[in-house]
Amino acid sequence: MTTVSDTPAAPPAERTATPATWAWTALGVAVVLVLAWATRWLDHHLPLETKGTSYAKYVGAIEYPVYAIALGLLGNVILTVTGLRDRLSGAFRTEFFIKTGLVLLGASINISLIWKAAGPAIVQALVLITGVFLFTWWIGGLFKLDSKLRALLASAVSICGVSAAIAAAGAVRARKEQLAYAASLVIAFALPSIFILPWLADTFGLSDAVAGAWIGGNIDTTAAVTAAGALAGDDALKIATIVKTTQNALIGVVAVALSAYFAFKVERDPNAQRPGLKTLWDRFPKFVLGFIVASGVGTWYANAVSAADAKTTIGVVNDWRVWFLVLAFVSIGLEFRIGALKEAGWRPVAVFASATVANLGLGLALASLLFAGFTVT
Amino acid sequence: MSESPTPSAETSPEVAQATRLAFSEDWAATVVGLVLLVLVLTGVVTQGLVP
Repeated sequence: MTTVSDTPAAPPAERTATPATWAWTALGVAVVLVLAWATRWLDHHLPLETKGTSYAKYVGAIEYPVYAIALGLLGNVILTVTGLRDRLSGAFRTEFFIKTGLVLLGASINISLIWKAAGPAIVQALVLITGVFLFTWWIGGLFKLDSKLRALLASAVSICGVSAAIAAAGAVRARKEQLAYAASLVIAFALPSIFILPWLADTFGLSDAVAGAWIGGNIDTTAAVTAAGALAGDDALKIATIVKTTQNALIGVVAVALSAYFAFKVERDPNAQRPGLKTLWDRFPKFVLGFIVASGVGTWYANAVSAADAKTTIGVVNDWRVWFLVLAFVSIGLEFRIGALKEAGWRPVAVFASATVANLGLGLALASLLFAGFTVT
Repeated sequence: MSESPTPSAETSPEVAQATRLAFSEDWAATVVGLVLLVLVLTGVVTQGLVP
């Protein structure tokens, strides 16, 4: 998760909601909306403007996540240079935008597809999370990282990026610098993955289902999974979303396990209470419920009206979904911070890079095994 | 909100706030997404209202 954002690059500082804060946030919202509008304008008009020229095939290959992230990064540079970025950052809500977009995406996914993909998605998530978490924990030990940072990095790389890092930070009582650092690493690795994984999936000749399962199981943030899935194709996006959402749902289990491990083994607190079902529910990403409910409602609606009416109406829902995804991708670019990475040195980067490579290998093997012959209908 | 985990006394305020924010955003996204879906399906929000 993203539960992307799932992706503040750094945890937001404690703010008092003064009129000035609201004014800066409103200005930030305006910046995000203008960049999102520019993204949609470029996506719609550039292919028309270049039609019949030698640039047409290159422009045709560029999809809206690329424009959105590029404009977000450009906006990031301008706002950083002008000293406005931190003041406006209250409006860069990647998590909210991407999760709303995913709830809306649920409406165009037949509930039977979720049901059919749930089995392999759960098996993949359990094996991948366990394998990659333990590998990252082990290699973090070899590199002598602090145990709390090891927990954050292992959660982030094995489950769903910043959301998992936030949940783990609460569970192990991490410091804000450690959370900011883990979040920055997640985004730094997720950005290139958005473009590299769809390209590799195409190069390897993976089917839509296997490509989607690989992307969903490997890219850390939910927003980046959605961007990469959108580049890989509509069917790949559906499977990537189901696989990522399944991983997101397991955040609670890992947070509870980490809470218990740190309380009883690392800190040896005799007064610590055993985390229970309430903790599990507290940590559960609620948007997963919205995604499933939207899928059920969308499936019911498609069966209740004519095919033409269903296509038109779900088309409107999809338009809104694209708007929310564009807002999320713009925010990914706006939130990216390089500063925290420079401060922490090379060892955590080496651990995260090693874990990412292990995740890619194990993820490809599992996706190829579990989603071979799977059809997206 | 009631879904926010109670931060431990040793958790830094920034981490506790990030945790609260993440779980509040979960609910906010769920509510906004489902309300928008219902508005579209019931015809209140039509193609002409999409920016």
